[in-house]
Amino acid sequence: MSRQGRIAHWWATLKAGHVWVTSRLGARLWLRSCDRVGRNTRTFWRPNIDNRGRIVIGASVRLNSNWAPLEIATGPQGLIEIGDNVFINYGSMISAHGHVRIGSNVMIGNYCIVADTETPGLGDPPGGLRVEPRAIDIGDGAWLAARVTVLPGARIGAGAVIAAGSVVAGDIPAGAVAGGIPARLLRAG
Amino acid sequence: MCHRVGQQPWLAGRPTINTEGGQLRIGDRFRLASRPVPSHLVAGPGALLDIGDDVSIGAGAAIAAFEQVRIGNGTRLGPYVIIMDTNFHGAPGDQSVQHDTRPVTIGDGCRIGSRVTITRGGSIGDGAEILAGSVVSSAIPGGVCAGGARARIIGKAGDIASRWDSAAASLPDLLMKTLGLESPPDLNDEPVPTEIWSEDRMRNLLGALEEGLDVSVSDAAVREARTFADLAVAIQSVLSARQQNERKL
Repeated sequence: MSRQGRIAHWWATLKAGHVWVTSRLGARLWLRSCDRVGRNTRTFWRPNIDNRGRIVIGASVRLNSNWAPLEIATGPQGLIEIGDNVFINYGSMISAHGHVRIGSNVMIGNYCIVADTETPGLGDPPGGLRVEPRAIDIGDGAWLAARVTVLPGARIGAGAVIAAGSVVAGDIPAGAVAGGIPARLLRAG
Repeated sequence: MCHRVGQQPWLAGRPTINTEGGQLRIGDRFRLASRPVPSHLVAGPGALLDIGDDVSIGAGAAIAAFEQVRIGNGTRLGPYVIIMDTNFHGAPGDQSVQHDTRPVTIGDGCRIGSRVTITRGGSIGDGAEILAGSVVSSAIPGGVCAGGARARIIGKAGDIASRWDSAAASLPDLLMKTLGLESPPDLNDEPVPTEIWSEDRMRNLLGALEEGLDVSVSDAAVREARTFADLAVAIQSVLSARQQNERKL
């Protein structure tokens, strides 16, 4: 190996070590307001966690907040459950005023919106009528590609794949491939 | 930088406010989120961006006025909405772009879903509902529910069982194809021409409904419909009855 190659190799190893340490320490620090965090869960850069309800995160979850932070927010009655081995990419918004459940082994792409009310991140409108949240359920092993919007009341079955840019309303059966605005079945499970 | 800000504004995160010689007026109890992605409000030279009372706007919103953008009282906008009265604008301070503008007006008490794009000439009447991911560049009357890229009216606001019901959304296209219309109709009070109901077309429509949406609608119910809105209601009532049955099971 050339000298340059050796330096590049060592640099990469050093960087990997740095990420290994900071992602684990970061998770302790940034996720401290969550009610439960499983073992070996890691954060890359700093997510916005706004926990006024209950947030439960499983083991070996990876949360990426590089480039744009990830936001996980619960209202006073909100509950967010994230299973084991979930990966959520940057810029996504997970918000619950009721119940949002994300199963194990789910992958969520960048800039997704998973919110059980229509204007997430704003709390209740002042003085106005309270918007009722409708629960969202994402089954085990589902895969949401980039920029997917999951509307209030949506249920995505286990192992379903949602194409990039889709808007999901209603039920998507397990194992199906769905896409479009609104998401229609492209292939049944 | 705003020319008027009402009482009790509320911000989450830090937005970008850019008034390059334009006017920005904001009403009472304004709510704007800028987390995780910042929102920005821009009023170009001589432009007016007028936001009413009790307006809330989600994260990542981009609202740019180069002539006039008005948002009515009590309107709620979801995350990542884009509202502009031009088709295109450059980076801040870029003088080389010629703006071809037409004012944008959004009425009172509207609900604008996530990632909706409203471009020049778009106007939305009071109490209308625009579904997530839609594009609006024409007039949407008040009190309706519209969706799609070139948003079309697909029902009354708050009427549709599931907010973005794929069946409701595919109705205009289905009607165009089966009835041999020139463009997908808005499902509004426009009368259905009675001469349209030839045997062939009726069979086409009922067949397509069976096949595409799996609903059987009676011949009589279709003939009774005087307007496209009636027709949509006749079909949607069958659909929503079936959905409720499925939920019970």
